[in-house]
Amino acid sequence: MSQAVALKINGVERQVLAGATQTLLEVLRDQLGLTGSKRGCNQGVCGACTVMVDGRPVRGCLSLAANCEGSEITTVEGLAPAGKLTPVQQALIDSGAVQCGFCTSGMVISAHWLLQRNEKPDSDEIRRTLSGNLCRCSGYRKIVEAVASAVEGGKA
Amino acid sequence: MNDATEFLRPRSIDEAVAMLAAHEDARPLAGGATLVAMLNAGLIEPDAIVSLSGIEELRGIQAQENGGLRIGAMTRHAETAASALFRDGQQVVPHAAGQIANMPVRNMGTMGGSISFADPAIDYPPALTAAGAEIEIAGPGGTRRVPCGEFFLDWYTTALEPGELVAAIHVPPAPAGSVGHYEKLARVSGDYAIVSVALVLAMDGGLCSAAQIAVGACGPVPIRLAAAEEALVGSSLDAETLAWGGAMLAEASDPVDDVRGSADYRRRVIPRLLAKAVAAARAKMIEEAA
Repeated sequence: MSQAVALKINGVERQVLAGATQTLLEVLRDQLGLTGSKRGCNQGVCGACTVMVDGRPVRGCLSLAANCEGSEITTVEGLAPAGKLTPVQQALIDSGAVQCGFCTSGMVISAHWLLQRNEKPDSDEIRRTLSGNLCRCSGYRKIVEAVASAVEGGKA
Repeated sequence: MNDATEFLRPRSIDEAVAMLAAHEDARPLAGGATLVAMLNAGLIEPDAIVSLSGIEELRGIQAQENGGLRIGAMTRHAETAASALFRDGQQVVPHAAGQIANMPVRNMGTMGGSISFADPAIDYPPALTAAGAEIEIAGPGGTRRVPCGEFFLDWYTTALEPGELVAAIHVPPAPAGSVGHYEKLARVSGDYAIVSVALVLAMDGGLCSAAQIAVGACGPVPIRLAAAEEALVGSSLDAETLAWGGAMLAEASDPVDDVRGSADYRRRVIPRLLAKAVAAARAKMIEEAA
């Protein structure tokens, strides 16, 4: 049964109609056209759907939209609203750390959250934080280097 | 997707229990890490989803007067892992919580949801078993408390009856001066355990004064064996004693062959992982004494 759900997405109040078993990821992509978050495994393993709910990264594919009523959701689109990239996003480009790009938005969300909490994470902390985001191009090294360079840039 | 499914938002445990009872195939939704994955895979088609998110009584960790802890069923793994309330050997629980899956999943998954699914390869069942925890179950007839040994019954099977849900997990005080350690062998970070060993250990004058050991991922339920613990207590935890205790646990285990490892491999790993866990626990004792 569909019901109206109020969500605050990237700072904007939205009303969506969601079925009881419909995921946040489906609503973001199919109803709201926010296709930055990707559907990979749909089982919470790959991390391509990672978004922030109330400030914490979670799996969009394992979050039921109806259960997010009243929550604040940040997707990758919300990190650079005016087209001005975050240091992590810019560093990924500068480091050539994007191959096919499918994992990138989830990586950006996880890395962004880390740098919000900890201005100077070391390489181990970066790797641990990104361990829930799989890159099937296996471009991990450049991704970790890119996040480290955003740390050095000092303005997460 | 089942269009007929209802989404319900109870505000109390009693209301949630009534909703579960009123539907043929209602499922309580905790953090979603397991239930929604099953929905997405088409493995379940409940007629109602009863969200536990709005129930305040299910949240948070509270220290009890006797040194025990009451962990609300909706407490997320990330909260448990970061909690400073766990003392002595109770720390086996947050140590295990921090090794579940990965950061975004730890931000979602809850202790109640995790143990209700009771996959034998997950991290809480051995940790809670070693800690001597009890599970508080709420249902139509009120609440009851059962020890882990009576809660985890078989593969993916718990003592929960239809209409019941986990309300809280009670972790008793650990022996004074004990340490807790959770040793997990997995193929990669975030995977399920191939074998895990949860440990509450205390030493007094160079001899082991308390040992609570549970082995995970090596059978339908965690393995806790009084004889193995008795073998360690009073010893200096020398290699021979640990090999003997480990052999008893391996003998009592009932692992299967799966993608993560063969049953034979798991049996061989158990004594080694026990020795590794004990070494790590002893290192923590030295660290804490320093």
